[in-house]
This record gives sequence, C-alpha cells and structure tokens, in this order.
Amino acid sequence: MRIRLENIVKRFDDNTAVNDFSAVIESGELVTLLGPSGCGKSTMLNMLSGILYPTEGKIYFDDDDVTFMSSEKRGIGLVFQNYALYPHMTVLENICFPLEIKKVPKAERIERAKKMAELVHVEGMLNRKPGQLSGGQQQRVAIARALVKEPRLLLLDEPLSNLDARLRIEMREEIRRIQLETGVTTIFVTHDQEEAMSISDHIILMKLGVLQQYDKPQALYDQPANCFVADFLGNPPINKVAGVVQDGKVLLGEDKIDSGIKVDVADGTRVWLSFRAESVILDNSSSLRAKVIMTSVMGKEVITSFDLAGKEVRGYMDANAELQRDQEIGIRFKNSGVFVFDYESGERYL
Amino acid sequence: MSRKSRDTETRINKEPLSIGRIAMYVCLFIGALIMIFPFYWMITGAFKTWTEVNKIPPTLIPENPFNLENFIYAFKTAPFGRYFINSILALIGCIVTCSFTTILAAFAFSRLRFPGREFIFSLLLSLMMVPYEMIIITNYRTIVHWNLHDTIWALILPFMSSIFYTYILKGFFDSVPESLYQAAKVDGCSDWKYLWRVMVPMAKSSLATIILLNAIATWNSFLWPMIATNSKEVRTLPFGLYAFMTEGGQRNERMMAASTIVVIPMIIIFLFARKYIISGMSRGGIKG
Repeated sequence: MRIRLENIVKRFDDNTAVNDFSAVIESGELVTLLGPSGCGKSTMLNMLSGILYPTEGKIYFDDDDVTFMSSEKRGIGLVFQNYALYPHMTVLENICFPLEIKKVPKAERIERAKKMAELVHVEGMLNRKPGQLSGGQQQRVAIARALVKEPRLLLLDEPLSNLDARLRIEMREEIRRIQLETGVTTIFVTHDQEEAMSISDHIILMKLGVLQQYDKPQALYDQPANCFVADFLGNPPINKVAGVVQDGKVLLGEDKIDSGIKVDVADGTRVWLSFRAESVILDNSSSLRAKVIMTSVMGKEVITSFDLAGKEVRGYMDANAELQRDQEIGIRFKNSGVFVFDYESGERYL
Repeated sequence: MSRKSRDTETRINKEPLSIGRIAMYVCLFIGALIMIFPFYWMITGAFKTWTEVNKIPPTLIPENPFNLENFIYAFKTAPFGRYFINSILALIGCIVTCSFTTILAAFAFSRLRFPGREFIFSLLLSLMMVPYEMIIITNYRTIVHWNLHDTIWALILPFMSSIFYTYILKGFFDSVPESLYQAAKVDGCSDWKYLWRVMVPMAKSSLATIILLNAIATWNSFLWPMIATNSKEVRTLPFGLYAFMTEGGQRNERMMAASTIVVIPMIIIFLFARKYIISGMSRGGIKG
C-alpha cells in the first residue's frame, strides 16, 4: 500500500511536534523514521496508526483519505517497544486475539496463527505464556500478532530497543526477512542510525518535527542534505572543523589554515568543514599539517586522532605508518565524504 | 523466583540456632498459641456436654468427640440453616454486584477519558472519610422508604459498590501499560471486550483479594443486618448468633456449637485463599 502524507502538522498546546511533514512511502517498502528523541517520529507513527490525529494536513493510504479514520478501520499492525503482549494468554492466544476480535471462526484463526508463528519461528512455544519467553521471542510473537490479520501497513515503534546488542542485530535481520517474505509496507521507528541503515529501503531523518532528508540509506550517508544529517549518521561521527571562506577556499581555525577545499560562496562566510574518518588520507607531501594525538587499533583498522587547526579529529590511517604521539603529519582529503556546511543554518555548500 | 526462595530457605536452615532466633521462635509460638487457643476451645467446647464444659479442671479433648447434640440443638431451636442460607445469599449478592460495579468503575477511572474524571474520583475518595455509622442512618431511611426493610435486598443494596475496592482495582489497572490498550484498539477491540478479555483476567489476584475482603466483611457484618432485618427469615448468621444468645440462655456448649457454625466457612475459605489475602494486604497496604 502506498502512503501519502501531505503537509502534516501536529501541535500539542503550544508545542509543535511535527511541522509541515510531506512524504510518499511506496508500496512494499520498509521505511525507517529516524531521529533523536523528541524529533516527532513517534508522534508521526501514532498519526499513521490513528492513535493521534493531525492538527493539519492529510494522510492517504492508496487513494483513501484516512486522516481521521479510527485505528481499527485502517488495517494496520502495530508492534510496540515493550511488545504489549497479553501476559495471561498463551502465545497462540495472543496471536489469535486480533482474529478473535474480527470474529474469524476458531479453526481458521488457529490455522492462520500457526502459520504466522512458523513465519516468525515461534511455532515450538505456542502454549507458553509471554513471561516464559526471552525478549527476542516476545518480539517475534508481537510481530506475528501484528501480521496475523494481514494488515496493509506494519508499524514498528522502536521494536529493538529493549533487546541486548546481539539479539538486536539478529532481530533486525529477522524483521527484514519477515518484511520481504510478506511484502507488507512497513514503517519502522528508531533512534539508532545503524539499525536504520541496515534494514531500510529508505530512511526519513527527522529533527524537531521537521523532515530533514528522505532518501536511500547510502545516499543519506554519502550526500547529506545538511549539517544535521551529516552529524547524525556515521560511526565514528563525522569530523567537524569550523572555518571561514576566503577567495573560494575554506580556511580552518583561528590561524586560517588552508584546507585545500574549494567552495563557491561569498568571502567571509563562516562554515563547517565536515569529513568522514575514511575520507582523510595520510600524505606527508601535503601542505595541510596536523599533529597526532593517539592511535587506536579497532580490529582490522587503525583509527588515528589528530589535531587539525586546534580541533581533535579522527581518521582511518595507514596501519603501516606507525604514527607516534605528537608527530607532525601531512593530510589531504578524498573527493567523497567531505562536505562544507553553513556555520549557522547547516545548509550544505559542498 | 522459586529458585531464589529455595536458596533463602537452605540458608536459613543451615544457620546455627542463635539465642535470638530461639527467643523469636518462642515468642511466635506463644503468640500463635494465644491466637489459636480460643478457636480450639470454642470448637472442642461445641462437642462437650454441659457438665463437661463446667468441669474443673477442664478437659482439653472432649470425652466424646462425636457428640453432635449441641449442633442439633442449635439447629432445632434457632433456624441456623435459614441463617446460613441468608448469609450465603447476602454474600453472593454483595460479591457479584460489588465486583461488577467495581470493575466497571475502576476501568472508567483508569482508562476512559471524560471531563471531570480526576475531580469525581477525588470526590469519591473523600467520601471514604465519612464514618460508616453515619451512613447507616441515611441507608436505613432509604431502605424503609423503598419498603425493603426486613428483606434480603436490604442486606445487599447498600453494598453494591465500594469506593475502597474501586480504588484498589484502579491502582492495578493503572499499572497495566497503555500500549496493551492501544494494541487491542488497533485490532478493533471494543472497550467492553478489552476489559473482560484482557484487564479482568490480568487482574485476577487483585480481584481475588477484593472478593475475599468483601466476603469476610459481608459474612461478619453485624450492625447493619441487626438494624435492617428483624424476622428470623432474613437474619444472617452473626445476628442469628446474637439472637440465639439472648433467646437461648446461658448454655456455653450450645453457644460454642452455634459459633462454630458461623466461623467454620470463613476459616475454610481463609485456608484455601490465604495466599491471595496476604499478597493483597501487603500490596494494597491494607490493614485487616
């Protein structure tokens, strides 16, 4: 099902949680709503599920205007962070419950629930109570319960945040597998960029209720729309050095060191030079000098932090260089993963 | 949980018996003896003859433990069978109606949104401050006005709802995550169905506590039945016992047989359900 959001605004008293939000989510895709806490992603999800209604704007499921339609008529499946399983019912009863409400005959609902349980791999524990399951298993049951009535849209609200790190990776792959197997349009809310990057077809990145960028995961990383997007994605976080533009060149720090990066904006514009750790190369012939602070071996890679124009930054350096503390090195930038943003507005210049 | 308690158990057993612990057990033993002995005396007394009850020194074990004469006498002179049925009727009536209204009210105050919800609830809570003896007067007038005086309805009607039990149950309902409600709503579950299929089964132990407290209170209630009923046909056991005492004269062994009839059902209930009573008491911070 194709979802169209048109100029959605949601206000709580004086507080605008979502502001002028427009997006189209294509049928069968898994789209992640990503952003720091308080960015309005859960509010957005609640409006999609019908728990909240928008103050302004329209929501369309295919061609139906569902803006003010009640939850149960929307045909959605919802998975909560705390799973929200009914503790007194067995796994089978939990999965059957949505069908029971729809008055599906008992034999059929058991059959459908069993099929769903197989899909999410909990078929061996149908008679257990949720309290006897691990977090990951509970989450599987919650997904099965959400999917059993064959919803047009599956909504997942931070479904992995109660799981430990290893299970989280396993479950996100599972969610992706289940989503691809069923082909259900899915919206996934998370604040974890890695989670979002790994499973989404597209990511919607939000900040303070405003859509920042809506793109494929790799595009978000490679071509951030603004400084916030660049800051939010990537691990280690993107390096940021303040500078000023003169004669089309970005000069860094108080000492106005020439970074060698050219940008087409007016002289005197204050900017951020942002670059990914993998976009910096050790080149002692370069005139851009930096001082090594420390190196740390991260498995197969060596990450070096160094002082560039008075700011500590990090880069993946040649492991064979054997850099020493306080050693002066020359660096230059690759063509990709280097951006220039406006210092105030975060608007991207390069 | 079970493993943990087993661990503590073994730890306690291994611990050497210090003087403090011995003293503690002695005190507990004496306390238990003081509590249990009157019941023991009453129950055994019910099997004794008039001479045996008044014998000095007293016998601890009745000479004829199968002597049911006193019970037969009690049932013959006062209609204890009728009292018993009345007590049961009042008990069932109160529990069924009160549980029903309590569940609905607790759900409404916990989950439904309506204007003035908090205000109404605090108003109701403040009514708990009104002493029971004061309500008796107005209740009596109402019952008389409706021509229900001296009927079983008079015993049930004033106890068809309870602010206190509503308060306990609301506390439990409040602790159920909102997401369960939302999950059910998204699936198209009505409030009514959600309440009976999800909330009530989850609240089983809270409800059991409420029902038990209610049962004990109804079974033992004396003042109101004495005022609201008059004839033998609608008396309940405690009032019946009182009447038996005044009408039957000072025959201790008969009195003890009658008292045993009154008390035994509650003791049986307590033995079966003490887990719920105790957990309910400690959770709700109720004093019995």
